[in-house]
Amino acid sequence: MPKVTFITAEKTTVEVSDSSGNLMEIALENNITGIGGDCGGVCSCSTCHVYVRKDWIERVGLPDSVEKDTLEFNSHYQPNSRLGCQVEMSDDLDGLVVEVAPAE
Amino acid sequence: MNSHDDPFREAREKGPILAATFQNETIPMILRLKDIRKAAKDPETFSSDAPRRVPIPSEEDVRTVRQYPLEVDPPVHAAYRKIVEPFFLRPKQPEVLAKIHALIDSLIDKSLAGGPIEVVQDFAIPLQSHALTYMLNVSESEAEHWIGWGIHVFKDGDGKSKGPFMESYCRQMFEAAAENPGDDFFSALNQAELEGRLLTMEEKLGFANIAFAGGRDTIIHTVTRIISYFADNPKALECLHENPSMVNSAAEEFFRVFMPLTHIGRICPHATDVHGFEVKPQGRVSLCWSSANRDPEVFDEPNEVKLDRRPNPHISFGFGAHNCLGAHHARAITRGLIQKLSERVSGIEVLENVELLEEEADYTRKVGYELLRSTFTAR
Ligand code: HEM
Repeated sequence: MPKVTFITAEKTTVEVSDSSGNLMEIALENNITGIGGDCGGVCSCSTCHVYVRKDWIERVGLPDSVEKDTLEFNSHYQPNSRLGCQVEMSDDLDGLVVEVAPAE
Repeated sequence: MNSHDDPFREAREKGPILAATFQNETIPMILRLKDIRKAAKDPETFSSDAPRRVPIPSEEDVRTVRQYPLEVDPPVHAAYRKIVEPFFLRPKQPEVLAKIHALIDSLIDKSLAGGPIEVVQDFAIPLQSHALTYMLNVSESEAEHWIGWGIHVFKDGDGKSKGPFMESYCRQMFEAAAENPGDDFFSALNQAELEGRLLTMEEKLGFANIAFAGGRDTIIHTVTRIISYFADNPKALECLHENPSMVNSAAEEFFRVFMPLTHIGRICPHATDVHGFEVKPQGRVSLCWSSANRDPEVFDEPNEVKLDRRPNPHISFGFGAHNCLGAHHARAITRGLIQKLSERVSGIEVLENVELLEEEADYTRKVGYELLRSTFTAR
Protein backbone atom coordinates (compact mmCIF):
# COMPACT_ATOMS: atom_id res chain seq x y z
CA MET A 1 0.00 0.00 0.00
CA PRO A 2 1.27 3.51 -0.79
CA LYS A 3 3.26 5.55 1.69
CA VAL A 4 2.91 9.32 2.13
CA THR A 5 4.94 11.70 4.30
CA PHE A 6 3.55 14.91 5.81
CA ILE A 7 5.88 17.67 7.03
CA THR A 8 4.00 20.08 9.29
CA ALA A 9 4.60 23.83 9.47
CA GLU A 10 6.58 23.14 12.68
CA LYS A 11 8.75 20.73 10.64
CA THR A 12 7.51 17.55 12.30
CA THR A 13 7.65 14.62 9.89
CA VAL A 14 4.89 12.01 9.94
CA GLU A 15 5.06 8.96 7.68
CA VAL A 16 1.87 7.10 6.90
CA SER A 17 2.22 3.72 5.27
CA ASP A 18 -0.82 1.81 4.07
CA SER A 19 -2.55 5.06 3.21
CA SER A 20 -5.86 5.14 1.38
CA GLY A 21 -8.35 7.85 0.55
CA ASN A 22 -7.41 11.44 -0.16
CA LEU A 23 -4.66 13.41 1.56
CA MET A 24 -7.12 15.36 3.73
CA GLU A 25 -8.74 12.17 5.05
CA ILE A 26 -5.36 10.55 5.65
CA ALA A 27 -4.13 13.64 7.50
CA LEU A 28 -7.22 13.74 9.74
CA GLU A 29 -6.94 10.04 10.59
CA ASN A 30 -3.34 10.60 11.59
CA ASN A 31 -3.86 13.90 13.45
CA ILE A 32 -1.54 15.89 11.23
CA THR A 33 -1.26 19.38 12.77
CA GLY A 34 -2.49 22.16 10.50
CA ILE A 35 -4.96 20.11 8.44
CA GLY A 36 -8.54 21.06 9.37
CA GLY A 37 -10.61 19.49 6.61
CA ASP A 38 -13.45 21.67 7.85
CA CYS A 39 -15.77 21.37 4.85
CA GLY A 40 -15.35 17.61 4.66
CA GLY A 41 -13.64 17.63 1.27
CA VAL A 42 -15.80 19.68 -1.09
CA CYS A 43 -13.19 22.29 -2.01
CA SER A 44 -14.80 25.12 -0.07
CA CYS A 45 -12.69 25.88 3.00
CA SER A 46 -9.03 25.34 1.98
CA THR A 47 -8.03 24.14 5.46
CA CYS A 48 -6.29 21.13 3.88
CA HIS A 49 -3.81 23.20 1.90
CA VAL A 50 -0.50 21.43 1.24
CA TYR A 51 2.61 22.00 -0.86
CA VAL A 52 3.60 19.08 -3.05
CA ARG A 53 7.37 18.49 -3.13
CA LYS A 54 8.64 19.83 -6.45
CA ASP A 55 9.83 16.42 -7.69
CA TRP A 56 6.30 15.06 -7.22
CA ILE A 57 4.30 17.82 -8.89
CA GLU A 58 4.20 16.18 -12.27
CA ARG A 59 2.94 12.86 -10.98
CA VAL A 60 0.38 14.41 -8.59
CA GLY A 61 -0.82 16.85 -11.25
CA LEU A 62 -2.01 20.42 -11.11
CA PRO A 63 -5.28 21.64 -9.61
CA ASP A 64 -8.33 21.92 -11.86
CA SER A 65 -9.89 25.34 -12.30
CA VAL A 66 -12.30 25.13 -9.32
CA GLU A 67 -9.54 24.06 -6.96
CA LYS A 68 -7.16 26.66 -8.37
CA ASP A 69 -9.71 29.43 -7.88
CA THR A 70 -10.16 28.40 -4.24
CA LEU A 71 -6.40 28.29 -3.66
CA GLU A 72 -5.32 31.27 -5.68
CA PHE A 73 -6.45 33.93 -3.21
CA ASN A 74 -4.90 32.11 -0.25
CA SER A 75 -2.17 34.24 1.32
CA HIS A 76 0.20 31.25 1.26
CA TYR A 77 -0.51 30.14 -2.31
CA GLN A 78 2.46 28.75 -4.25
CA PRO A 79 2.66 27.13 -7.67
CA ASN A 80 2.96 23.70 -5.97
CA SER A 81 -0.12 24.26 -3.78
CA ARG A 82 -2.90 21.65 -3.71
CA LEU A 83 -5.94 21.00 -1.60
CA GLY A 84 -5.39 17.68 0.15
CA CYS A 85 -9.02 16.67 -0.35
CA GLN A 86 -8.51 16.73 -4.11
CA VAL A 87 -5.47 14.41 -4.16
CA GLU A 88 -6.41 10.73 -4.04
CA MET A 89 -3.61 8.41 -2.93
CA SER A 90 -2.72 5.58 -5.27
CA ASP A 91 0.14 3.15 -5.82
CA ASP A 92 1.41 5.59 -8.39
CA LEU A 93 2.03 8.11 -5.61
CA ASP A 94 3.87 5.70 -3.29
CA GLY A 95 6.56 7.72 -1.47
CA LEU A 96 4.85 11.12 -1.90
CA VAL A 97 6.05 13.97 0.34
CA VAL A 98 3.87 17.02 1.08
CA GLU A 99 4.30 19.99 3.39
CA VAL A 100 1.38 21.43 5.32
CA ALA A 101 0.86 25.10 4.36
CA PRO A 102 0.60 27.69 7.15
CA ALA A 103 -2.92 28.58 8.33
CA GLU A 104 -4.61 31.50 6.53
CA MET B 1 -37.26 27.02 -8.10
CA ASN B 2 -38.96 30.12 -6.80
CA SER B 3 -37.50 33.52 -7.85
CA HIS B 4 -37.18 34.38 -4.16
CA ASP B 5 -34.49 31.69 -3.89
CA ASP B 6 -32.16 33.45 -6.33
CA PRO B 7 -33.38 37.02 -6.83
CA PHE B 8 -30.01 38.07 -8.31
CA ARG B 9 -30.05 35.73 -11.32
CA GLU B 10 -31.10 38.25 -13.92
CA ALA B 11 -28.74 40.96 -12.67
CA ARG B 12 -25.84 38.49 -12.46
CA GLU B 13 -26.41 37.42 -16.06
CA LYS B 14 -26.33 41.05 -17.20
CA GLY B 15 -23.26 42.17 -15.28
CA PRO B 16 -21.05 41.87 -12.24
CA ILE B 17 -23.05 44.13 -9.92
CA LEU B 18 -26.58 45.15 -8.93
CA ALA B 19 -26.86 48.75 -7.75
CA ALA B 20 -29.43 48.41 -4.96
CA THR B 21 -30.88 50.99 -2.60
CA PHE B 22 -31.03 50.50 1.17
CA GLN B 23 -32.38 53.33 3.35
CA ASN B 24 -31.53 56.04 0.76
CA GLU B 25 -28.05 54.66 0.13
CA THR B 26 -27.28 53.06 -3.23
CA ILE B 27 -24.81 50.22 -2.84
CA PRO B 28 -23.22 48.11 -5.59
CA MET B 29 -23.77 44.46 -4.73
CA ILE B 30 -20.97 42.32 -6.13
CA LEU B 31 -22.66 39.21 -7.52
CA ARG B 32 -20.09 36.80 -8.93
CA LEU B 33 -18.03 34.41 -6.86
CA LYS B 34 -14.57 35.23 -8.16
CA ASP B 35 -15.11 38.99 -7.83
CA ILE B 36 -16.28 38.57 -4.23
CA ARG B 37 -13.29 36.46 -3.27
CA LYS B 38 -11.03 39.11 -4.75
CA ALA B 39 -12.72 41.94 -2.84
CA ALA B 40 -12.76 39.96 0.42
CA LYS B 41 -8.99 39.59 0.14
CA ASP B 42 -8.42 43.33 -0.33
CA PRO B 43 -9.20 45.01 3.02
CA GLU B 44 -7.34 48.18 2.08
CA THR B 45 -9.83 48.91 -0.68
CA PHE B 46 -12.80 47.15 0.94
CA SER B 47 -12.50 47.74 4.66
CA SER B 48 -14.40 46.36 7.66
CA ASP B 49 -13.27 49.22 9.89
CA ALA B 50 -16.74 50.71 10.24
CA PRO B 51 -18.61 50.18 13.50
CA ARG B 52 -22.23 49.07 13.00
CA ARG B 53 -21.97 49.59 9.23
CA VAL B 54 -20.58 46.25 8.05
CA PRO B 55 -24.03 44.63 7.93
CA ILE B 56 -26.44 45.96 5.31
CA PRO B 57 -28.80 47.55 6.24
CA SER B 58 -26.70 49.25 8.95
CA GLU B 59 -27.23 48.38 12.59
CA GLU B 60 -26.77 51.88 14.02
CA ASP B 61 -30.28 51.87 15.50
CA VAL B 62 -30.17 48.41 17.04
CA ARG B 63 -26.80 48.16 18.78
CA THR B 64 -24.46 50.60 20.46
CA VAL B 65 -21.20 48.68 20.13
CA ARG B 66 -18.75 47.77 17.40
CA GLN B 67 -18.75 43.99 16.77
CA TYR B 68 -15.41 42.22 17.25
CA PRO B 69 -13.63 40.82 15.34
CA LEU B 70 -16.05 41.54 12.47
CA GLU B 71 -15.66 45.30 12.33
CA VAL B 72 -11.88 45.73 12.38
CA ASP B 73 -9.26 45.29 9.69
CA PRO B 74 -6.00 43.36 9.58
CA PRO B 75 -3.48 43.44 11.14
CA VAL B 76 -5.17 44.17 14.51
CA HIS B 77 -8.08 41.94 13.47
CA ALA B 78 -5.92 38.84 14.04
CA ALA B 79 -5.23 39.82 17.66
CA TYR B 80 -8.93 40.32 18.36
CA ARG B 81 -9.86 37.08 16.63
CA LYS B 82 -7.30 35.07 18.57
CA ILE B 83 -8.90 36.07 21.88
CA VAL B 84 -12.19 34.29 21.20
CA GLU B 85 -11.02 31.56 18.83
CA PRO B 86 -10.69 28.84 21.54
CA PHE B 87 -14.44 29.08 22.27
CA PHE B 88 -15.36 28.89 18.60
CA LEU B 89 -13.24 25.74 18.26
CA ARG B 90 -15.01 23.97 21.14
CA PRO B 91 -17.63 22.27 18.90
CA LYS B 92 -14.73 20.23 17.42
CA GLN B 93 -14.10 18.58 20.80
CA PRO B 94 -15.70 15.11 20.99
CA GLU B 95 -17.40 15.82 24.35
CA VAL B 96 -18.96 19.07 23.08
CA LEU B 97 -20.07 17.34 19.87
CA ALA B 98 -21.64 14.56 21.95
CA LYS B 99 -23.69 17.16 23.85
CA ILE B 100 -24.90 18.68 20.57
CA HIS B 101 -25.95 15.22 19.36
CA ALA B 102 -27.77 14.47 22.62
CA LEU B 103 -29.58 17.80 22.36
CA ILE B 104 -30.72 17.00 18.80
CA ASP B 105 -31.87 13.56 19.94
CA SER B 106 -33.95 15.07 22.74
CA LEU B 107 -35.60 17.52 20.31
CA ILE B 108 -36.37 14.70 17.90
CA ASP B 109 -37.84 12.69 20.82
CA LYS B 110 -40.23 15.56 21.51
CA SER B 111 -41.09 15.93 17.83
CA LEU B 112 -41.98 12.25 17.62
CA ALA B 113 -43.98 12.26 20.84
CA GLY B 114 -47.36 12.85 19.25
CA GLY B 115 -49.00 15.94 17.84
CA PRO B 116 -47.55 18.53 15.51
CA ILE B 117 -44.70 20.84 16.51
CA GLU B 118 -43.90 24.36 15.38
CA VAL B 119 -40.38 23.86 14.10
CA VAL B 120 -39.16 27.45 14.58
CA GLN B 121 -40.23 27.80 18.23
CA ASP B 122 -40.14 24.19 19.36
CA PHE B 123 -37.06 22.97 17.55
CA ALA B 124 -34.78 25.52 15.87
CA ILE B 125 -34.71 28.22 18.56
CA PRO B 126 -34.15 25.80 21.46
CA LEU B 127 -31.50 23.96 19.42
CA GLN B 128 -29.62 27.18 18.66
CA SER B 129 -29.91 28.55 22.20
CA HIS B 130 -28.89 25.38 24.05
CA ALA B 131 -26.05 24.60 21.65
CA LEU B 132 -24.65 28.09 22.15
CA THR B 133 -24.33 27.43 25.89
CA TYR B 134 -21.97 24.55 25.04
CA MET B 135 -19.86 26.76 22.80
CA LEU B 136 -19.65 29.60 25.32
CA ASN B 137 -19.22 27.10 28.16
CA VAL B 138 -21.91 28.68 30.32
CA SER B 139 -24.66 26.99 32.33
CA GLU B 140 -27.27 25.40 30.07
CA SER B 141 -30.02 27.19 32.02
CA GLU B 142 -28.90 30.49 30.41
CA ALA B 143 -30.52 29.26 27.19
CA GLU B 144 -33.94 29.95 28.74
CA HIS B 145 -33.14 33.70 28.77
CA TRP B 146 -32.09 33.69 25.13
CA ILE B 147 -35.05 31.73 23.78
CA GLY B 148 -37.25 34.83 24.14
CA TRP B 149 -35.00 36.91 21.91
CA GLY B 150 -36.80 35.50 18.86
CA ILE B 151 -35.48 34.47 15.47
CA HIS B 152 -33.38 37.57 14.90
CA VAL B 153 -32.20 39.55 17.92
CA PHE B 154 -32.37 42.85 16.04
CA LYS B 155 -35.50 42.45 13.93
CA ASP B 156 -38.07 40.10 15.31
CA GLY B 157 -41.65 39.65 14.31
CA ASP B 158 -43.10 42.14 16.80
CA GLY B 159 -40.92 44.84 15.17
CA LYS B 160 -39.09 45.60 18.40
CA SER B 161 -35.37 45.02 18.49
CA LYS B 162 -34.17 42.88 21.39
CA GLY B 163 -30.73 44.51 20.97
CA PRO B 164 -30.89 46.60 24.18
CA PHE B 165 -32.01 43.57 26.26
CA MET B 166 -29.17 41.55 24.87
CA GLU B 167 -26.63 44.27 25.62
CA SER B 168 -27.79 44.72 29.21
CA TYR B 169 -27.90 40.94 29.70
CA CYS B 170 -24.29 40.66 28.46
CA ARG B 171 -23.16 43.55 30.67
CA GLN B 172 -24.63 41.72 33.69
CA MET B 173 -22.94 38.49 32.65
CA PHE B 174 -19.53 40.22 32.46
CA GLU B 175 -20.11 41.76 35.89
CA ALA B 176 -21.22 38.45 37.41
CA ALA B 177 -18.21 36.67 35.87
CA ALA B 178 -15.88 39.29 37.35
CA GLU B 179 -17.29 38.48 40.81
CA ASN B 180 -17.21 34.78 40.23
CA PRO B 181 -14.73 33.83 37.48
CA GLY B 182 -14.93 30.46 35.70
CA ASP B 183 -13.95 28.82 32.40
CA ASP B 184 -16.70 30.52 30.45
CA PHE B 185 -16.70 33.02 27.58
CA PHE B 186 -17.49 36.01 29.81
CA SER B 187 -14.70 35.26 32.32
CA ALA B 188 -12.22 34.66 29.51
CA LEU B 189 -12.98 38.06 27.99
CA ASN B 190 -12.71 39.74 31.41
CA GLN B 191 -9.19 38.35 31.69
CA ALA B 192 -8.10 38.66 28.05
CA GLU B 193 -5.29 41.00 27.11
CA LEU B 194 -4.88 42.86 23.87
CA GLU B 195 -1.52 44.47 23.21
CA GLY B 196 -0.69 44.42 26.93
CA ARG B 197 -3.98 45.82 28.29
CA LEU B 198 -7.33 44.44 29.40
CA LEU B 199 -10.32 44.83 27.08
CA THR B 200 -12.74 47.69 27.62
CA MET B 201 -16.40 46.92 28.41
CA GLU B 202 -17.28 48.24 24.94
CA GLU B 203 -14.95 45.68 23.36
CA LYS B 204 -16.23 42.82 25.50
CA LEU B 205 -19.83 43.73 24.65
CA GLY B 206 -18.83 43.85 20.99
CA PHE B 207 -17.47 40.28 21.10
CA ALA B 208 -20.61 39.06 22.85
CA ASN B 209 -22.87 40.97 20.48
CA ILE B 210 -21.83 39.02 17.40
CA ALA B 211 -21.67 35.70 19.24
CA PHE B 212 -25.34 36.16 20.14
CA ALA B 213 -26.70 38.03 17.14
CA GLY B 214 -24.55 36.63 14.28
CA GLY B 215 -24.96 33.06 15.39
CA ARG B 216 -28.70 33.20 15.86
CA ASP B 217 -30.89 33.73 12.78
CA THR B 218 -28.23 32.04 10.64
CA ILE B 219 -28.51 28.76 12.56
CA ILE B 220 -32.27 29.00 13.07
CA HIS B 221 -32.96 29.53 9.35
CA THR B 222 -30.55 26.78 8.34
CA VAL B 223 -32.32 24.31 10.63
CA THR B 224 -35.85 25.21 9.52
CA ARG B 225 -34.96 25.14 5.85
CA ILE B 226 -33.35 21.72 6.11
CA ILE B 227 -36.43 20.33 7.86
CA SER B 228 -38.70 21.90 5.26
CA TYR B 229 -36.52 20.48 2.47
CA PHE B 230 -36.83 16.97 3.90
CA ALA B 231 -40.60 17.40 4.11
CA ASP B 232 -40.70 18.31 0.40
CA ASN B 233 -38.13 15.69 -0.60
CA PRO B 234 -38.69 12.45 1.33
CA LYS B 235 -36.37 10.65 -1.08
CA ALA B 236 -33.48 12.78 0.16
CA LEU B 237 -34.07 11.60 3.73
CA GLU B 238 -34.19 8.01 2.49
CA CYS B 239 -31.03 8.49 0.44
CA LEU B 240 -29.14 9.84 3.47
CA HIS B 241 -30.45 6.98 5.57
CA GLU B 242 -28.95 4.55 3.10
CA ASN B 243 -25.75 6.57 2.54
CA PRO B 244 -24.70 8.06 5.88
CA SER B 245 -21.32 9.02 4.42
CA MET B 246 -23.16 11.69 2.42
CA VAL B 247 -23.97 13.75 5.53
CA ASN B 248 -21.04 16.14 5.19
CA SER B 249 -21.51 16.94 1.51
CA ALA B 250 -25.27 17.31 2.11
CA ALA B 251 -24.55 19.84 4.87
CA GLU B 252 -22.30 21.88 2.57
CA GLU B 253 -24.95 21.81 -0.17
CA PHE B 254 -27.57 23.07 2.29
CA PHE B 255 -25.19 25.87 3.36
CA ARG B 256 -24.81 26.80 -0.31
CA VAL B 257 -28.47 26.90 -1.32
CA PHE B 258 -30.06 27.97 1.96
CA MET B 259 -27.49 30.68 2.71
CA PRO B 260 -29.23 32.61 5.50
CA LEU B 261 -27.03 35.70 5.24
CA THR B 262 -27.75 37.35 1.89
CA HIS B 263 -24.70 39.62 1.93
CA ILE B 264 -22.44 41.77 4.05
CA GLY B 265 -20.85 45.15 3.51
CA ARG B 266 -17.44 46.72 3.22
CA ILE B 267 -16.51 50.40 3.33
CA CYS B 268 -14.36 52.05 0.68
CA PRO B 269 -12.00 54.47 2.51
CA HIS B 270 -11.23 56.12 -0.86
CA ALA B 271 -13.23 56.74 -4.00
CA THR B 272 -13.38 53.35 -5.74
CA ASP B 273 -14.59 52.12 -9.09
CA VAL B 274 -16.51 48.91 -8.37
CA HIS B 275 -17.10 47.28 -11.75
CA GLY B 276 -18.14 50.62 -13.22
CA PHE B 277 -20.01 51.96 -10.18
CA GLU B 278 -18.30 54.93 -8.51
CA VAL B 279 -18.28 54.51 -4.72
CA LYS B 280 -17.57 57.74 -2.83
CA PRO B 281 -15.11 57.78 0.10
CA GLN B 282 -16.76 56.07 3.11
CA GLY B 283 -19.42 54.63 0.80
CA ARG B 284 -20.26 50.95 0.93
CA VAL B 285 -20.21 47.88 -1.29
CA SER B 286 -21.93 44.56 -0.69
CA LEU B 287 -20.35 41.13 -0.95
CA CYS B 288 -23.35 39.10 -2.02
CA TRP B 289 -22.47 35.61 -0.81
CA SER B 290 -25.91 34.22 -1.65
CA SER B 291 -25.59 35.27 -5.29
CA ALA B 292 -22.04 33.89 -5.55
CA ASN B 293 -23.33 30.52 -4.35
CA ARG B 294 -25.49 30.29 -7.47
CA ASP B 295 -22.88 31.52 -9.95
CA PRO B 296 -23.23 29.26 -13.01
CA GLU B 297 -19.56 29.89 -13.90
CA VAL B 298 -18.68 27.87 -10.79
CA PHE B 299 -21.62 25.55 -10.04
CA ASP B 300 -23.18 23.13 -12.53
CA GLU B 301 -26.96 23.43 -12.38
CA PRO B 302 -26.72 25.92 -9.52
CA ASN B 303 -30.41 25.72 -8.68
CA GLU B 304 -30.41 21.96 -8.22
CA VAL B 305 -29.86 20.61 -4.72
CA LYS B 306 -27.29 17.82 -5.10
CA LEU B 307 -26.54 16.17 -1.79
CA ASP B 308 -23.28 14.73 -3.09
CA ARG B 309 -22.10 17.89 -4.87
CA ARG B 310 -18.31 17.88 -5.19
CA PRO B 311 -16.57 20.19 -5.65
CA ASN B 312 -18.76 22.72 -3.87
CA PRO B 313 -16.71 25.87 -3.37
CA HIS B 314 -19.55 27.88 -1.80
CA ILE B 315 -18.71 30.96 0.24
CA SER B 316 -21.48 30.75 2.82
CA PHE B 317 -18.91 31.23 5.55
CA GLY B 318 -17.27 34.17 3.81
CA PHE B 319 -13.73 34.24 2.50
CA GLY B 320 -10.42 35.60 3.73
CA ALA B 321 -9.51 37.03 7.13
CA HIS B 322 -13.08 37.38 8.39
CA ASN B 323 -14.24 33.90 7.42
CA CYS B 324 -16.90 32.75 9.84
CA LEU B 325 -15.64 31.88 13.30
CA GLY B 326 -18.92 30.10 13.98
CA ALA B 327 -18.48 27.69 11.06
CA HIS B 328 -17.35 24.78 13.28
CA HIS B 329 -20.42 25.27 15.42
CA ALA B 330 -22.72 25.60 12.41
CA ARG B 331 -21.26 22.46 10.83
CA ALA B 332 -21.51 20.46 14.05
CA ILE B 333 -25.20 21.35 14.43
CA THR B 334 -26.10 20.90 10.77
CA ARG B 335 -24.29 17.61 10.30
CA GLY B 336 -25.73 16.31 13.57
CA LEU B 337 -29.22 17.32 12.50
CA ILE B 338 -28.97 15.62 9.11
CA GLN B 339 -27.46 12.50 10.62
CA LYS B 340 -30.06 12.15 13.39
CA LEU B 341 -33.05 12.95 11.18
CA SER B 342 -31.96 10.44 8.56
CA GLU B 343 -31.42 7.79 11.24
CA ARG B 344 -34.62 8.32 13.18
CA VAL B 345 -37.27 10.00 11.04
CA SER B 346 -38.96 8.46 7.99
CA GLY B 347 -41.05 11.43 6.98
CA ILE B 348 -41.99 15.01 7.80
CA GLU B 349 -45.25 16.63 6.85
CA VAL B 350 -45.70 20.40 6.83
CA LEU B 351 -49.18 21.47 7.97
CA GLU B 352 -48.70 25.23 7.78
CA ASN B 353 -45.85 27.57 6.96
CA VAL B 354 -45.11 31.28 6.81
CA GLU B 355 -42.03 32.16 4.81
CA LEU B 356 -39.65 34.80 6.09
CA LEU B 357 -38.75 37.09 3.23
CA GLU B 358 -36.05 39.76 3.19
CA GLU B 359 -37.84 42.54 1.35
CA GLU B 360 -35.66 45.34 0.02
CA ALA B 361 -36.39 47.97 -2.59
CA ASP B 362 -34.55 46.06 -5.33
CA TYR B 363 -35.04 42.43 -4.41
CA THR B 364 -37.01 40.01 -2.26
CA ARG B 365 -35.18 36.97 -0.97
CA LYS B 366 -36.42 34.01 1.04
CA VAL B 367 -34.23 33.49 4.10
CA GLY B 368 -36.23 31.08 6.22
CA TYR B 369 -39.55 30.59 7.98
CA GLU B 370 -41.42 32.55 10.59
CA LEU B 371 -43.53 29.51 11.26
CA LEU B 372 -43.35 25.88 10.18
CA ARG B 373 -45.95 23.60 11.76
CA SER B 374 -45.09 19.97 11.06
CA THR B 375 -45.49 16.38 12.11
CA PHE B 376 -42.58 13.95 12.24
CA THR B 377 -42.95 10.20 11.68
CA ALA B 378 -40.54 7.78 13.32
CA ARG B 379 -38.58 5.35 11.20
C1 HEM C 1 -25.04 28.83 8.87
C2 HEM C 1 -24.61 29.64 9.79
C3 HEM C 1 -23.70 30.81 9.55
C4 HEM C 1 -23.43 31.49 8.40
C5 HEM C 1 -23.97 31.22 7.01
C6 HEM C 1 -22.47 32.54 8.73
C7 HEM C 1 -21.91 33.41 7.81
C8 HEM C 1 -20.84 34.27 8.09
C9 HEM C 1 -20.14 35.06 7.10
C10 HEM C 1 -20.45 35.10 5.61
C11 HEM C 1 -19.15 35.73 7.74
C12 HEM C 1 -18.12 36.68 7.09
C13 HEM C 1 -18.39 38.12 7.38
C14 HEM C 1 -17.45 39.07 6.66
O1 HEM C 1 -16.65 38.68 5.81
O2 HEM C 1 -17.54 40.28 6.94
C15 HEM C 1 -19.23 35.40 9.14
C16 HEM C 1 -18.41 35.90 10.13
C17 HEM C 1 -18.58 35.63 11.48
N1 HEM C 1 -19.49 34.75 12.03
FE1 HEM C 1 -20.78 33.55 11.05
N2 HEM C 1 -22.20 32.47 10.06
C18 HEM C 1 -22.93 31.44 10.60
C19 HEM C 1 -22.94 31.04 11.92
C20 HEM C 1 -22.27 31.66 12.93
C21 HEM C 1 -22.35 31.31 14.33
C22 HEM C 1 -23.17 30.15 14.86
C23 HEM C 1 -21.58 32.19 15.01
C24 HEM C 1 -21.34 32.31 16.49
C25 HEM C 1 -21.88 31.60 17.41
C26 HEM C 1 -20.96 33.09 14.03
C27 HEM C 1 -20.08 34.08 14.34
C28 HEM C 1 -19.34 34.79 13.40
C29 HEM C 1 -18.26 35.72 13.75
C30 HEM C 1 -17.76 36.03 15.15
C31 HEM C 1 -17.78 36.24 12.54
C32 HEM C 1 -16.68 37.30 12.37
C33 HEM C 1 -15.34 36.67 12.07
C34 HEM C 1 -14.26 37.70 11.83
O3 HEM C 1 -14.56 38.87 11.58
O4 HEM C 1 -13.07 37.32 11.90
N3 HEM C 1 -21.41 32.73 12.78
N4 HEM C 1 -20.27 34.49 9.33
